[in-house]
Amino acid sequence: MNEISFNPPRLGLFRRYGRVSLVLLGILALAQGAAWVCGARFDLLFHGIADSMHFMVHLLTPELNAFSDMWQPALTSVFIAVVGTVVGTAISLLFALLAASNIAPRWLRNTTRFLLGLERALPEIVILLFLVAAFGLGPFAGVLSLAIGCIGMLGKLIADAIEELDPVSIDAIQAIGASRVQVILFGVIQPIIPSIISFALFRFEYSIRLSVYLGAVGAGGIGLELYRSFTMLDYGRAATALIVTLILVFVSEWVSGFLRKKIKGGRFQ
Amino acid sequence: MKNPSIDVLSPAGYRRRATILGVIALLVGAACLYMGFDPTMLFTEFHYVTDLFSSMSPPNLNVIWHDETIGMAVLETLSMAFLGTLIGGGFAMFLAFLAAENTMPSRIVRMLVQLILSIGRVIPPLFLILVFISAVGLGPFAGALSLILSTMGTFGQLFTEIIENVDPAPADAIYSVGATRAQVIRYVILPQVLPSFTANFFYAFDINIRVAISLGIFGGGGIGFQLFQAMRVLHYHDAMALILLTVVLIVGSEKLSDLLRSRLLNRGSLK
Repeated sequence: MNEISFNPPRLGLFRRYGRVSLVLLGILALAQGAAWVCGARFDLLFHGIADSMHFMVHLLTPELNAFSDMWQPALTSVFIAVVGTVVGTAISLLFALLAASNIAPRWLRNTTRFLLGLERALPEIVILLFLVAAFGLGPFAGVLSLAIGCIGMLGKLIADAIEELDPVSIDAIQAIGASRVQVILFGVIQPIIPSIISFALFRFEYSIRLSVYLGAVGAGGIGLELYRSFTMLDYGRAATALIVTLILVFVSEWVSGFLRKKIKGGRFQ
Repeated sequence: MKNPSIDVLSPAGYRRRATILGVIALLVGAACLYMGFDPTMLFTEFHYVTDLFSSMSPPNLNVIWHDETIGMAVLETLSMAFLGTLIGGGFAMFLAFLAAENTMPSRIVRMLVQLILSIGRVIPPLFLILVFISAVGLGPFAGALSLILSTMGTFGQLFTEIIENVDPAPADAIYSVGATRAQVIRYVILPQVLPSFTANFFYAFDINIRVAISLGIFGGGGIGFQLFQAMRVLHYHDAMALILLTVVLIVGSEKLSDLLRSRLLNRGSLK
């Protein structure tokens, strides 16, 4: 029988960990620089935490009778998200048709894809700042910026779904003499309706979170309530607004997850 | 889709689809009425958008080169995202080992840590930044602190799942020759999860750049704050330049993060 021997390679500590520690040192140096740029100071943090204890207490005791003021802004936030997502999905569908290689010519597809990528790079809040400057404060700018914010992501997802369609079924519809519009309606859009709905629901969850942000900049809704209570140092009210926001986020996630599971179960097909 | 069934719908199927569509249309209509949102305004009032666009162009690109505050603001945004990713991701990594079933035997500790992580995940960053502004004042430090917490929440959950999905066989093998839990973590689990952790750090940086820009508007400093100021005082040519700069920043960080991630995951190095 062969003797089994195990000889671990004996490396010096530096040869073993040298490269890793050099990388770590570099990262630490970068972090030090970043901390300097940000003006991060531990004493500031500790003082801040100590000083903020007095309002943290208020944040933990939400003002219960402010709940009755909250349902209206909460409804506005939900509506902004719903309308923004529905309108955005409709616009995205148009862009998706232009961005699918089996429908649009190559140059059009590539241009549209480039534009969609550009839109994805633009944060929704920047779009909102632009639209608020154009249309003034209010839900109109909020809905529109959510709708435009959808286009980059949903347009790409739907276009990908269209490109994955089986070409045979489109050929079959063409073979029985369908017009171009009919081919698009029945051969392209109808088969991907379940995917479109589930993408839209997924985006809706995100829109609810965004509508909180956007509200604070000027779209109205629960985000504005949260922001205003903070700037007026009314921390009990801010805590109430936070609870309402969390409820909105949880309920929207639950509803969207439930509906998406139902679609996957084939109820829509 | 593999097999799109162009089905002949039964009348019941049509009725169900019509009901769903009707409910959606009714909901959207009611919402429009409630908010006073008139979709036709999009067409009648569209000239405001084009007016604004023409008053913004050409972008005043000089402001990027000649104004030092802009350069500093870009640095601030990058630093916020970097600190948020590094420290928040570091905490996430540490807590993930305490939250994963195969590294933490105590159930109570696991549940406690998972509770902390999910609190960090669900609290909106807007709330975090407002709290930190009240605590440490306006500026990028408050932005960095809120990024740390939100990164910790989002990526802690992900890291926990990665740890729980490692191949258990090597761990069993070295347990059976008498390794301690710490040795198993160091020589089995860490080498398996490190590449995907690092890849996720790059991904987190990409996300945090966007969030850092948005948080800037609420007083977190950086390029978002400069953009907000420029819009507020109606310096539209400067604002357009800053929007372009933002897009370049985001696209650049996205491409860099994608490149590093794909190289890392293909090579499978960094063990």
